[in-house]
This record gives sequence, structure tokens and C-alpha cells, in this order.
Amino acid sequence: MNRSTFATVIGFLKKEFSQVLRDSRMRIILLVLPVLQMAVFGLAISTEVKNIKLGTIYNPNDTILRRIEERSFSSKWFIPAIGRGTSNDANADPLEQIRSGRADVVLISPPGGLTKDIERGERNVQLLIDASNVIRAQSIERYMQSIINEVLRDEFQLTVTSPVIFDVRILYNPSLESAIFMVPGTLAMILCIVTILLTSMSIAREKEMGTFEMIISAPVKTWEVLLGKTIPFIIIGMINAASIFMFAILVFKVPMKGFYWHLAIATFSFIVTTVSIGTLISTFAKNQQQAMMGGFIFLLLSNLLAGIMFPIDNMPVFMKVAAYMNPMTYFVRLVRNIMLKGGSPELIWSYIGILVLMAVLTAIVSYKRFHHTLD
Amino acid sequence: MIFEFSLRRALSIAKKEKFHILRDPFTLTMATILPVLLVLIFGLAIEFNVKDIGLTVHDSDRTFSSRKLVEVFSSSQYFKINQNQSSTENAIKNLDSDRSKAILIIEPQFEHSLLSDGTAKVQFFLDGADNSTAGVILGYLGGIQQAATLKLTGQEGQPFLQLKTRYLFNPELSSPWFVVPGLAVVVIAILSILLTALTVAREWENGSMELLLSTPVQPLEIIIGKLIPYTIIGLAAVLLVVIVAIFGFGIPFAGNFFLFGLGSFIFLIACLAQGMLISVLIRTQQLSMQVAMITGLLPSLLLSGFIFPLESMPTVFQNFTSILPSKWFMIISRGIFLKGADLIDLKIPFVGLFVLSSILIVTATKKFKKDLEP
Repeated sequence: MNRSTFATVIGFLKKEFSQVLRDSRMRIILLVLPVLQMAVFGLAISTEVKNIKLGTIYNPNDTILRRIEERSFSSKWFIPAIGRGTSNDANADPLEQIRSGRADVVLISPPGGLTKDIERGERNVQLLIDASNVIRAQSIERYMQSIINEVLRDEFQLTVTSPVIFDVRILYNPSLESAIFMVPGTLAMILCIVTILLTSMSIAREKEMGTFEMIISAPVKTWEVLLGKTIPFIIIGMINAASIFMFAILVFKVPMKGFYWHLAIATFSFIVTTVSIGTLISTFAKNQQQAMMGGFIFLLLSNLLAGIMFPIDNMPVFMKVAAYMNPMTYFVRLVRNIMLKGGSPELIWSYIGILVLMAVLTAIVSYKRFHHTLD
Repeated sequence: MIFEFSLRRALSIAKKEKFHILRDPFTLTMATILPVLLVLIFGLAIEFNVKDIGLTVHDSDRTFSSRKLVEVFSSSQYFKINQNQSSTENAIKNLDSDRSKAILIIEPQFEHSLLSDGTAKVQFFLDGADNSTAGVILGYLGGIQQAATLKLTGQEGQPFLQLKTRYLFNPELSSPWFVVPGLAVVVIAILSILLTALTVAREWENGSMELLLSTPVQPLEIIIGKLIPYTIIGLAAVLLVVIVAIFGFGIPFAGNFFLFGLGSFIFLIACLAQGMLISVLIRTQQLSMQVAMITGLLPSLLLSGFIFPLESMPTVFQNFTSILPSKWFMIISRGIFLKGADLIDLKIPFVGLFVLSSILIVTATKKFKKDLEP
């Protein structure tokens, strides 16, 4: 790089940085808000199902059912259904309780009472579950079964003997801590929002304002424009990533078993990829509104297809293809693998390789399209 | 002033905004087609019942019984046995490198203790780095245990007390039934916030705001006028989404269409007003859009109850989510779609949504008014 092109790129960098960071509100949004968001999502979100509203319909003399009810409430999973006539009322309408949302699940005693039934050797109890939330419904049934088993074991010394007992150990995140699970996902989402949108809108802005013509008429090369327009956003993205990682490790105590430089290379390749995608979007957009729409489509698709909220393994083939073309998929796995598992070299380098390949391909396409617009 | 509100002037603002929308067919297409496409794609893609989970097996017993146990796993459809590793260390390496999600370790004396004591322990390691899959696998283990009992002893391994469970509103626990009504809320929320987030900022940046200021038009008229065309677009998108949900996914629409329409209407107003408020407050498109994404996209996805349960959040955050219109409409949408809930069941979310949209419109108008009269 000779002196003059170096100066050109530096000049662009200065202009771009001052344009983005001139506004104090923008500084807050770009530098402080990502950490704040991380804090909210890390603290608030839990994948565990809790506070299930349980209604019980039984005769007050039915000791076994009363034990089951008591034990349900003393576990952290269930709370009483809302409103009168929801518990311990043989006349309550269970369907109505669930339909109106006062209860998530209703346990119904057999007509003669559960205690009598068990003495007679009958072994059925009815459970109505609101299945409009599939995940919740499955957990509710599982919890209920385990509570009932416990009560029966204590009351009747009845144990189910199974020839195989699973000694389950959960590795890397033994208590299934939600913050540890959420950090890589939200980090990727936040980085994507900042880099893709800033880049695409910044270039679209020049087109919309007419300053693009000035750049074209100036004696600068396409790649100088592109570097000047993208480096600031790569730097901002790296600062965001560093502060979020610091927060995750120091405040959320997310373990950091791997090497920091692995994490840095992985993050850098991801950010370069997203900035290139932002640039590509801007070559299609005529104004900021279109750039934003394009960015939004990419963001929503990549958020939902990154394996953060829904497992990729059970998607239909065409969606699997899309999920494996999504840079976020690789980044989230890289962060989880490096931070929680210490980083398997084979996985790290193959995934970073894929990210770099994506970055190079997108950069070439956007360079070509950008060059074309400039001429 | 609210008394000076003139519908005629509001409508002419609406007309102007309509021209602006029509001039940009890209945005118009996005606003109407995108929700449908997204709901269609993700309704098909999202499935919570995980299959083919990679399971590494280390069987050092190598007996008839241990092979039977492995067979139970492989024939369950849930698991895909990818390797039979020679040592525990190698098996753990598979977990380290993400090649499998779980490990089954059978010790050498498995068959022996099974025959002598009638019961034997096996180790099962689970990858906890991926919380959601780990939870699903834990849920499958109960069924696996029953199947193993049957296979190894020939007896039904039933729990002492059998639960007769009835799943209401979604008897087959179909994932699309759960996902589509929720996804519709998320998509429409973000899209409508984005649609209006740039409208006022654009006028400031392009200089056309000065022109608007020189006319006798009132702030509320501008706000209402700008909201009208986007509300119509939004309602069209909602209608398309409902059609896809019913005819594409066979989701029964249990409730009242009119009530759902009313809910969508208030919800759209709330989201559009949120975008408008951002636009009024911020004035530059780039910044407006960042704020719109941050306050629209992530909270709607993560804090609305779409996937992650609100009931499990700490109370402070549960209360905090009440300022999100999507939280309320999520309850309304799922309630009406699957449960056939009526207005009495949904009074709280309806009131919440109504209060939010009123606050947002009033604040946007007030802020806008202040800007107009420096």
C-alpha cells in the first residue's frame, strides 16, 4: 500500500467514525446498550418451566390426592390455579378453568377418590393439560408423574423397579444454567444487528443523500472506499464483543475454558462476514428504508436458523441447507465450544475456515457489485 | 390541540404517505408478503420433538444384555448411534468436539449385576452446553427406561400409577400449532415498528419536514394520517397470515374472527406508534433503525413468551415484559387461535394492549408537537 492510498483509507475511517459517533445517543446505543441487553436476556430468560398453575378436583377426604397437591406446590414447579373453585372443589369445571387460562393443568380424582381406588388396586388418575404450549405441556406431564411417584413411594413404600438405572451426568453446564446457554446466542444476535445494519445503512445513506456522486467523482479506488466504509464497523463490533465477553465471564460467571485468542479469531471472522453481508445488502438498496428491510430479513432468518431457539437437526432438508449457510450457526457453536468445552481444534479451525470462506465470497461479490455501481 | 383535529387534514396526510409507500414497491411487498413467507417457512421448519440425536456408545460389557440395551436406544428413533468408542476418554472427546450430544457408558459387569441383583447402573453423559436439547433428551430417558424394562425382562415397565393425560387444544402436540400463532405476532410486531420508525426521520433528513411545518396541519393529524396507511397494510398482512395458518397448517381457528381482528388492530396501532415515537424522538434514520431493532426485534423474540416461558422469569422481568405490546398480543393470539378464548378471558391482555397503544400515540403526538413549536 503506498502512502497516498493509506492516507485515503485513513481519511475515510476518520470521516466514518466521526459520522457514526458524533451523536451522543448513538454512542450509548452502540457501546453501552449491547452490554445492557446481554444483562437483561441473561438474567431474565430461563428455559426451565416453572410456576405452572395447577387446579385439583377432588374430595377433601382423599388423603393421597391432597398429598400430591401439597407436594406439587412445595416443589418449585407448581402454583395454585387462580380464582375460587379451582382447587379441592368437586363441582369445578376443569375445561373452563383451562380455557380461561386460570389453570394450565387440572388433576382430576377418580369418582370414588384416589385413596380408595389405590386400595382396590386401580391405578388411574386423569390429567388435563393445556397443550397450546407444546414445550410446557410435555414438561408438566413429566413433573406430575415424578411427583406422583414420590408420593406413592412415601405413602405405600411402592417403588418401581427397573432393571436399568441411568446415572445421568450433565457435562459443561451441570445445573443447566440459562445464562450460560443464552450468552453465545444473544451475543451473536447483538453483533449481527450492530454490524449488518450500520454498514448497510451507512452506504445507503450516501446514495440517498447524493454524496455518493461526490465519492465517485473523487480519485479513489473502489476498494479504498469499501475499506474506509467497513473497517469502522468491524472495530465497533470488536469493541462490543469484547465488552460482552467480559461481562459474561465476570458477571454471569460463564466459564472460559478455551484460549482467548481462539475466541478473538472466531469473533473477528464472524464480524468480517456480517460486515461484508451488510455491504452486499447496501449494493441492492436504493435508500435507507430498503437497506433496513434487507437487513431485517437477514437478521430474522439468521436468528431463527442458528440453532439457538430451535434445533437444526430436525429441520427439513431445505431449511437445514439454509441453516448451514448461516454464519451465525457456526459462530454460536464456536463460542459455546471454546468457552464451555475448551475448544476442540478440529471444530474450531474447520468452522473458522467456513466463516472466512463466507467472508471472502461475500466480499468479492459486494466488491464486484460496488465497483459496477461506481463506474 | 385535540379539538382542532380535522379528519380531512389527517386523510390528506394519509394520502401523501400512501403515495410514498406506492413509490417504493419493495417495501410494500416486504410488508405484506414477508410475514406470510416467514410464517410458512418457520412453521414447516420448527419442530421441538428432536430426533436422531447423536449418541456415542462405549460398551465394555459386550454381552447379550448390553447389546439389547444399545438396541433400545437405536430403535427409539430419538437417537442415532454414531460410534462405538473403545474407551471412555474417546467417547468424551466426541462430546468435546460436538460430534455427539450424549454418551452411554456400559461397565463390564453390567450383565452380571443385572442377573444377580435384578438391576444395573449405566452411565449417561449429556452435553449441557446446549440447554434446550439437553432438556429434551432428559425427557426421553423415562420412555427409554420403560422400553429397556420390556426388552430386558419381558415385562411392561409401567409406573405404579398411570396418568391418563389429555392434551387440550393441541391433542397431538403439533409444533406448528404452537409456533405459528406466536411467530405471527413476532413478525408483525417487528415489521410494523420498522415501517414507521423511519417515516418522520426521513422527512427531517430529506428536508420535507419544513414544508409540512408551514401548513396548518396539527401534530395529531400528522400522526394519525401517517398511521392509517400502515395500519391497512398491517391488517392485510395479518389476514394473509391467518389464511396460511388455517389452510396451510390446518390450525383450527377456535375463537372469534372479529375479536382476533380487533386485537390485531390495537396491536398494530401499538407497534406502529412505537415506531413513530422512535422516529419522532430521533430524527436520523440510521439511529432510528438501530433503536427500532433493539426495542423491536430481540424483545419480541426473547421476552414475549414466544419460546422462552415468561412464567419462569424473575418477577422484576415478568413485570418489565408488560410494557411490550407483543407480550399481550401473544396471549391474545394463542388464546383465540387454539383455545377459543373470549373477551372476558382476555380482558387483561386487551386492556394492557389498549393502554400501551394509547400511551404510545399520546407520547408521539406530544413529542412531535414540541418539535414543531420550538
